[in-house]
Amino acid sequence: MKRSLRTHKVEQLILATAGFFWCFLMWFSTAAFSPSIAAHYHLGIQALGLLASSAIWMAPLGRMVAGWAADRFGAPRTFALVLAVCGLMSIASAYTHSYELLFAERVIVATAGVSFVIGIQHVAQWFEPHEIGIAEGLYAGTGNAGAGVGALLLPRIFGTSYPSAFLWLGMIALALAAWYLLRGRAAKTMERRETARRSSGFKSALFVWSRYIAIALMLAYAMSFGLEISLNAWLPGYFARGFHAQILALGFTGVAGMQIAAGTFAAVQSFTASLFRPFSGYMSDLFHRRGWTPLPIIAKTLPYAPRLHWLGLSLILVTLAMGGLTAAGLSGHLPASVAVLVALGVFISFGTGGTFALVPLLFPERPGLAAGFIGGLSTAAAIVYPLVFADAANIHAGYLRVALVLFVPFVLFYFWAARYERHPEEHGVFLTLAAHEVAGE
Amino acid sequence: MPSTAEPAPPQEPWYRYGVIVLCLEMLIAAAVCAYALYMTFHGHGGFPGGRLSG
Repeated sequence: MKRSLRTHKVEQLILATAGFFWCFLMWFSTAAFSPSIAAHYHLGIQALGLLASSAIWMAPLGRMVAGWAADRFGAPRTFALVLAVCGLMSIASAYTHSYELLFAERVIVATAGVSFVIGIQHVAQWFEPHEIGIAEGLYAGTGNAGAGVGALLLPRIFGTSYPSAFLWLGMIALALAAWYLLRGRAAKTMERRETARRSSGFKSALFVWSRYIAIALMLAYAMSFGLEISLNAWLPGYFARGFHAQILALGFTGVAGMQIAAGTFAAVQSFTASLFRPFSGYMSDLFHRRGWTPLPIIAKTLPYAPRLHWLGLSLILVTLAMGGLTAAGLSGHLPASVAVLVALGVFISFGTGGTFALVPLLFPERPGLAAGFIGGLSTAAAIVYPLVFADAANIHAGYLRVALVLFVPFVLFYFWAARYERHPEEHGVFLTLAAHEVAGE
Repeated sequence: MPSTAEPAPPQEPWYRYGVIVLCLEMLIAAAVCAYALYMTFHGHGGFPGGRLSG
């Protein structure tokens, strides 16, 4: 039985996007006020670093749990719970006078970052395969921009008064939670909702985690989103050290000046990576409509084969751009390095948008579990890349090393895992059962 | 060998607005980056911080 609900899929897309945007605003609001918090509590550089890194702690495991919960209980309830808990904790942190308690509260507020996979599941439950690319791209790209908007606007609106900002952010989060509960509908049809709920058991989770194609997509997302957030942390320091003389020559002197210039060069990567993401979804849809399958090895006859090819192309472009970044750095030409970085940001967006244009199609019965695994575990890569960057003998050489040692094997694995012309999701490390058998549990 | 995807159904009206929104977002990204880089390469400030996404 198909039952139409009194809402429209665009309303559900707007709900998910607004919720995700606000969650990302809350996720990075601590970072936006870290100088004020450090000054108020007289924090040293180590404590500040700990506060900054705490934002990512909850993401890998938290996203896997959130994806499962979205399948089990429906996205509206799960999203509303995340918004309400983070909102209440944000309000509590506005009235806290102990740093230890504030730190603990802000770590809980940072769980807002898990909301990404809930919205991915929600959008997947409402949109059709031929339009899923742009729908997921608009959701994720626009929502991601919440972090940038927070960094740009929050310090300008609230100055150093971070308690006021935390209070307002929390109150609006509570209002959004109520709106989500009131208007949110878990799926377009009861069948879709029931299928996702039935497929949310532990056996189903094991099934997703062990699929070659799910692992390949997780690595693809680690190559794109994982790289994006690792570069956020790494690039300001890279430009300050790797192009010190060139930045001085531009007229920036002292630590503050160097920080502004290096931060600006670094920011172009994340800005383009966020805001070009919907375009990647559109390109995935376009590949799908035109039936383009230009790459060798990767399947050509699957209904979503063109989308696999778009993602394959994106991953190759990311790998090449990493080599280009090393070449530009070694040449000592700052504008060339920034130009390659802009291109890298765009290619990263191709990877992030291309990955999540595929996930709901490969795992239509368990979109939350798949989104949680692929979007969660991949964030751990953000911890690994800076270690490899920093380990290189030459500060510019780290990008090429990551490309050769990690990305080339990831891309080869992707090509290998995406070669099956029938049901690639049924091939995995263990559990050889067909997808529908696991769903039946 | 061509993909066996069935011919895609015609796009619904919302899709056109979605494309307009994504074009606007790309335009904003290009404009903000161009402005910030122009300012920085001329010795002025750019973005207020380096972290703009997550």
